[in-house]
Amino acid sequence: MSCFPTVEKLRKLNARYHAFNEIAQSFPDLNEYPPRFHFSAKENLCAKGFQATAGSRILEGYRPPFDATSVSRMRAAGGVLLGKTNMDEFGFGTFSTNSGFETPRNPFDERRACGGSSGGAAAATSLLDKHIALGVSTGGSISCPASFCGVLGLTPTYGRVSRYGLIDYGNSLDKIGLLARSAADLKQYLPIISGADPKDPTSCVQPPLRIEGAKVSRIAIPEEALQNLSPVVKEGFEGALDSLRSKLDIEVIDTHMPSLKYALSAYYVLATSEASTNLARYCGMRFGAKGGSISQHFNDFFTEVRSAKFGREAKRRILLGTYARMVGFRDRYYMKALSVRQLVISEYQKAFAEADLVLTPTMPFIAPTFEEIGRMRPLEAYQADFLTIPPNLAGMPHLSLPCSYSDGMPIGMQAVAPHWEEGRLIELAEKWTGVFHLRFPEGCA
Amino acid sequence: MDIATVRNVARVARLKLTSEEEQAFARDLEEVLAYMEVLDEAPSGGEHDFNPVPVRDVLRDDEEGRDVDAETLRDSMDTYQDMVRGPKLS
Repeated sequence: MSCFPTVEKLRKLNARYHAFNEIAQSFPDLNEYPPRFHFSAKENLCAKGFQATAGSRILEGYRPPFDATSVSRMRAAGGVLLGKTNMDEFGFGTFSTNSGFETPRNPFDERRACGGSSGGAAAATSLLDKHIALGVSTGGSISCPASFCGVLGLTPTYGRVSRYGLIDYGNSLDKIGLLARSAADLKQYLPIISGADPKDPTSCVQPPLRIEGAKVSRIAIPEEALQNLSPVVKEGFEGALDSLRSKLDIEVIDTHMPSLKYALSAYYVLATSEASTNLARYCGMRFGAKGGSISQHFNDFFTEVRSAKFGREAKRRILLGTYARMVGFRDRYYMKALSVRQLVISEYQKAFAEADLVLTPTMPFIAPTFEEIGRMRPLEAYQADFLTIPPNLAGMPHLSLPCSYSDGMPIGMQAVAPHWEEGRLIELAEKWTGVFHLRFPEGCA
Repeated sequence: MDIATVRNVARVARLKLTSEEEQAFARDLEEVLAYMEVLDEAPSGGEHDFNPVPVRDVLRDDEEGRDVDAETLRDSMDTYQDMVRGPKLS
């Protein structure tokens, strides 16, 4: 039986951490049979009865009349949706400091960020016992907050989980996944949200999900991923490698992936191009915020509401994506970015010929303070994603799991598996959590 | 990126920027675009797709049905006598 927090307790907790943008009015009877479990959905997943703002003021007030497939499958399995979790506006961010609403705070240290963009989902999982959170990753939005908040974050293969009911950021990159406190929860809930859905054709080409029988005996570490790490992350990751060898008898080998240096740029070309077209639909007519006077010319009407309601990072990425699709730049970089994606996939495949998984740290540093984030230039924030972007660009399944702690703050490592081989990630999670003790913040629900 | 280019891109994207935003975005985008020049060194050519895994058309039969009624859809829009109202086209 799941242990349910009370509505009052959750509201009180949320006033402190801002993990949720909206909390359900009531939760069911704890004694209800069959046993039920509680889960949350990121704010860019539609769920009947809740707002779906995707963290943006331009969607404020939008209440979709339907459930995303991932949400409806969790509900059908007995899940109770506690609420919608906070996020960077449309997923645009590394720290969840770009939400149009409150900024979620790290449960391990409230002066620090949760990571983005599924920051609220990671905070909720870290705070609530037996909680499972639906997150969404485009360039690392599950791995990064999982790493900063000390939980497990599983991003499945592109197409494994239906995107129906997801407010898109980048259609060729978006993936719905899970944040959890245990390998057992990932193993239990991944099959529930996976599988073909006629409402999302990209989910209909997948092979069956195979979890049992997966083996992990050799792991490859790309040399290129070990540069520009903070000393504490480097030390924590090396300690984890020692434990993998000595406690789990896993062989660790070196590999090279020179294309990783192109991945970040290729990702931002593709992601912002797709985002700028997706966000064109928000014009003050159909969803959320309403435009001004309908006596205005449509250009002025659209421009006014978009300028007033989109946040700064959303505007920056719309501009970048619009520019990237313009004549000249498109030919120079957009097509090149598609080639780089294929190159990254090929290099992963080469590594998988010798190893079961590719392993790196998840983020180059521990969760930064809000003050430190305030001093970062946009490019510096983008560059912080250099370890999470490659598997996202390649559509490969990956898992962030806590591997060390520094001054009480969690450090994550990220394992990448071949397309459709989520079973290997869960096998690693089961093995690792058998020898590594996960910590959670004290005094929480 | 110069201010005129930022202003032109913003116009295409239906955004009106303040002069402070124009200057900040010009500076930010200049830096990001310079960083993207690393792609000039990347090997080009070879096969590529628009998705990271092969995707093919998957068709389903047309089935008559109504998941959401028109009234519910109109709830989130500006309406007048069962019609959706919008700004002028010209």
